[in-house]
Amino acid sequence: MIAIVHYGLGNVHAIANIYKRLGIPQVIATTPADLAAASHIVLPGVGAFDWAMKRLNESGLREALEHCVLVERKPVLGICVGMQMLAQRSEEGSLPGLSWIHGEVRRFDASRFAGETRLPHMGWNDVRPRQTGGLFKQLTSGARFYFLHSYYFSPKNDDNVLATTDYFGEFACSVGSENIYGVQFHPEKSHQWGIQLLKNFAEL
Amino acid sequence: MAMTNYQICVNCVMDTSDAKIRFDARGVCDHCNTFYRDILPNWHTDERGAQELDRIVESIKAEGRGKDFDCIIGMSGGIDSSYLTYLAKERLGLRPLVFHVDAGWNSQIAVNNIEKLIDGLGLELYTEVIDWDEMRDLQLSFFKAGVPHVDTPQDHAFFATMYNFAEAHNVKYILTGANYSTECIRNPLEWMYYQSDSIQLRDIHRKFGTRPLVKFPITSILRHKVYLRFFKRIRVISPLNYLPYRKAEAMQLLEQKYGWQPYPQKHFESRFTRFYESYWLPKRFGYDTRRVQYSSLILTEQMTRKEALEKLMQPAYDAATIAQDFEYVATKLGISVAELQSYMDAPNKSYRDYKSQQSIYLIGANVMRLLGMQLGGKR
Amino acid sequence: MLRPRIIPCLLVKNGGLVKTVNFDHPKYVGDPINAVRIFNEKEVDELIVLDIDASVQNREPDYALIRNLAGECRMPLCYGGGVRNVEQFERIVSLGVEKVAVSSTAVRTPELISRAAEVVGGQSVVVVMDVRRDPGTKKYQLRMHNGKVHCDREPAEFAAEVERLGAGEIVVNSIDHDGVMKGYDLELARTIRRASTLPMSVLGGAGKLQDIADLIREFGTVGAAAGSLFVFKGSLRAVLINYPSRAQRDALFEECNGRQNR
Repeated sequence: MIAIVHYGLGNVHAIANIYKRLGIPQVIATTPADLAAASHIVLPGVGAFDWAMKRLNESGLREALEHCVLVERKPVLGICVGMQMLAQRSEEGSLPGLSWIHGEVRRFDASRFAGETRLPHMGWNDVRPRQTGGLFKQLTSGARFYFLHSYYFSPKNDDNVLATTDYFGEFACSVGSENIYGVQFHPEKSHQWGIQLLKNFAEL
Repeated sequence: MAMTNYQICVNCVMDTSDAKIRFDARGVCDHCNTFYRDILPNWHTDERGAQELDRIVESIKAEGRGKDFDCIIGMSGGIDSSYLTYLAKERLGLRPLVFHVDAGWNSQIAVNNIEKLIDGLGLELYTEVIDWDEMRDLQLSFFKAGVPHVDTPQDHAFFATMYNFAEAHNVKYILTGANYSTECIRNPLEWMYYQSDSIQLRDIHRKFGTRPLVKFPITSILRHKVYLRFFKRIRVISPLNYLPYRKAEAMQLLEQKYGWQPYPQKHFESRFTRFYESYWLPKRFGYDTRRVQYSSLILTEQMTRKEALEKLMQPAYDAATIAQDFEYVATKLGISVAELQSYMDAPNKSYRDYKSQQSIYLIGANVMRLLGMQLGGKR
Repeated sequence: MLRPRIIPCLLVKNGGLVKTVNFDHPKYVGDPINAVRIFNEKEVDELIVLDIDASVQNREPDYALIRNLAGECRMPLCYGGGVRNVEQFERIVSLGVEKVAVSSTAVRTPELISRAAEVVGGQSVVVVMDVRRDPGTKKYQLRMHNGKVHCDREPAEFAAEVERLGAGEIVVNSIDHDGVMKGYDLELARTIRRASTLPMSVLGGAGKLQDIADLIREFGTVGAAAGSLFVFKGSLRAVLINYPSRAQRDALFEECNGRQNR
């Protein structure tokens, strides 16, 4: 059972629809009981970092979420801001993140762009997984996803980088540490590639 | 239904789900016998057919001289109309206007196939877009009416629009992909009542519709089979009946030449028709249109009875995706899944429960048969 | 490598799809839900849907329609029309829409851009600029309410302000080229590109794939939006949804060999 955390902004319905069409049981989680019953958890997110953290903190789900993830070690997938929330902090806001993966969220550095910034990073870009299998099973060649962000996760430990993307230099577009995963792009809006990734996650 | 009442034709696969079916002493059904007796002897796909077609083509070309196009082809994106378009342009040397009616349910494959053919054959396309709000309301009326022929609004719109266009633009020839090769057996009237019966359409709309039909194109059997045919001399031709038309070969040719993509089943160009024929009709009424299609293919030796029986053992719809299709249809119609289900569960009605001009069809069919102008036909 | 985006743009009026010429003469194109479903199956890069009478009629966005459209999209969706406050931004995004576009409102209450960005993030705030050339002075003019109302802002200067306020994207829409299908207004695109470093999408005038190629060749990573091109076919402008296949798109990008990562 995949629980998709509904705490504010985030494309819960699109993700739920994809799992529905794949025939994988899913629930849009609004209560701690929903999380307790799940085998996997998806943490979607759209919006500014502080706004998202605030909504999560006020949702009544944070404790149950942390228990599922840190104690029961259920696989969790953070999407977009959901991935950024896994960090310790973000340059976009002042609230602390979940700190499930060490690192911080930074704004793309204008100096990387040799004079011409173009933010947000918007559109379809290639993804280079560091290993085959797991979250990126069958997505090692030619996989592309839709990105829409101006901030990126910089993990302290390079081992936590699962995949990179080139936007004026490589950055981590996916991070992972044990049962905790994050993707900066939007698998729920990346056609067949996104569907494959969400399917892979359900099979972890 | 008690087992002893069930019977299936020994020749084709039509059975007693067609309530009016009759079997002869050998167990062969009346559909087959009508075909062998009335259609086959008069259906020429050899030299005779070729000559007859040449004559018709000459008339079309003569009539069309000086005009931008000499005929219109009703194009749904399906194999019949697609192959017809190829035939008309490449083999018969006609200058058709490809005429497509968008009733709001086009599948991506259909739209893609039409595009490939237009581009590959270098033809002009005309699309008539039916007002969606009126179409939706009318389709919903048919669901509420509880009748089997829920696809009437689409079918009716297709023909009415083509006739209207032909009349307005003084086009004398409408080409359709109708053919004996895959359609020599027709859906029983009980399953699919005459889509052109405007009396029935209007009565159902009057009883269950919630908005007036203003833009929706309406025709009537008398209008297009008598007035337009005899007074305006607008003729409907089915060229696929004059030469050997074998579905598998036709598909292969179009695939190779134009990148045309096959459909999982007949009529899947329209999402609604797919849902209707593969799920609604068999689930609710027990009418499986595949029986009709396969039986036609059996009679024209494009399928064996054994193959047909095997295929019929599987349900017509894909169990894995039917829930999504059901939801899509409900969403499009602007109702909840529960409401659509309630129509599925309501008592079954038939065309007889509403006004019709069936008598005119009966008279007309007899006249046509006497004059040798129509072979077989719906019953 | 970040790719250019090729974006169908659909206009909704009275709940039905329409296509205009110079923002006028709306021609009925059909049901939005089926159109979006077809685009989804064609795996388009992203989609823009603009309700062109919501603002003029001063009514709320059609949330039911938005939800249904979002449900059909496995690619990003940008919705615009009748958006006047931050609550609407939030509500629309929560229905599964990645970006929300504002046009007239951005001119009248530009601070909405920053307030919305604080909540939904700047990347989800799109400003659509409807521009035409003044017939007298020949200068570019920003217009409001489907091009009918004059506005005292200079497009380039407005684009720069919109960036300062925290928007994520500018869609520059040429009224003069709308529906005419004779190519984009490249000069207008250059003007806006010089004025702002935000991602830019250009709309109005695309008549063939070559027009999109020309745009991409000049601007590299840009959004090439089109309405008529993806909705009409042939000289009779017959309604038939079409869009380049993935192979065609990749070939087009290869051929333009864009200025990568710009």
